[in-house]
Amino acid sequence: MPVIELFPFASAAIMLAFTIYVLQRYSVRHTPHFLFWGIGLAMFGAGSFAEAYLSLAWNRWVFFIWYLFGAVLNAAWIGHGTLYLLSRKKWVHVVTVVLVLGSLFATYMMLKAMPSLDQGAFSTSSLISEQYGSSILPPGQPVPVGAQTKVETIQGKQVTVVRGLLPPGAPVRLTTPFFNIYGLLTLVGGAIYSAFLFWRKRVLPNRVIGNVLIAAGALSIGFASVLTRLGNGRFLYLGELLAAILMFCGFLVAGQPQPQEQTSPQRATSPAD
Amino acid sequence: MDKDERQTELAALRKKSHMPAHSVFFEKIIPLLLIILGVIMVGMILFAVGVLVGIVKF
Repeated sequence: MPVIELFPFASAAIMLAFTIYVLQRYSVRHTPHFLFWGIGLAMFGAGSFAEAYLSLAWNRWVFFIWYLFGAVLNAAWIGHGTLYLLSRKKWVHVVTVVLVLGSLFATYMMLKAMPSLDQGAFSTSSLISEQYGSSILPPGQPVPVGAQTKVETIQGKQVTVVRGLLPPGAPVRLTTPFFNIYGLLTLVGGAIYSAFLFWRKRVLPNRVIGNVLIAAGALSIGFASVLTRLGNGRFLYLGELLAAILMFCGFLVAGQPQPQEQTSPQRATSPAD
Repeated sequence: MDKDERQTELAALRKKSHMPAHSVFFEKIIPLLLIILGVIMVGMILFAVGVLVGIVKF
């Protein structure tokens, strides 16, 4: 097995530890940001585990978990936890309702796509991130090395399709930008904003560093996802592993107890609060 | 622990809770990192918007 296919196993193990750590904190403090972080991290871990499984064998429901939790939902749920940390106003509850309804809609779209999965396109010899989506090959463009193609009629036109598991233009793929834009804004934007606040006040350097690590981790998986969208999925596993390590380290660094907390408790913006 | 030791420890902790003065890391590198991370974030959001409006094909 190539080393790169071991990365999802490592990511899943780290995310399992991270999820348990965060949910333990939720069980003590009962604050919503720990709950959303915990759910989002569990989704991330499930996606990584599904990826590891799909490097060994095919199972359509494992693919369901990989795409829905790993590609569509997790960033938005983790980011929503950060939003709860930064603001506990009533409008955040409204956003929660929108997020839950949106997630249910994405689940429905994914379930709808399940019967049309092209399982014949699956192979354990290539990464799942390189074979999950079909794409229409523009006329005159050479077929990518190792890709399988078929001719299909789409909107009355005969086109060559590079085979993938999800059919070309599958509506569920259109839901990912919504969740990922929200996840980027809240998770990365929230971490950058928190780091900036502490940096400006020149206090709690551990929280500045922790939030920078969290933002960098989230961006590493985001960057790998962009490359995957552009047809270069080989960096996804590395991006996920980096994200798991950086975010967990960031959370641990930001969560170190500080003297202010021991002497005079104050409101702060750290995911580990 | 006597009173003096406790005060020394608290002073050390207070120092730890503030950024070191004249630190190149906190004065130069951290703000630069925050700007770079912010720019990458905006770039990725624009990419995702491009997917939504159909500029980025899939």
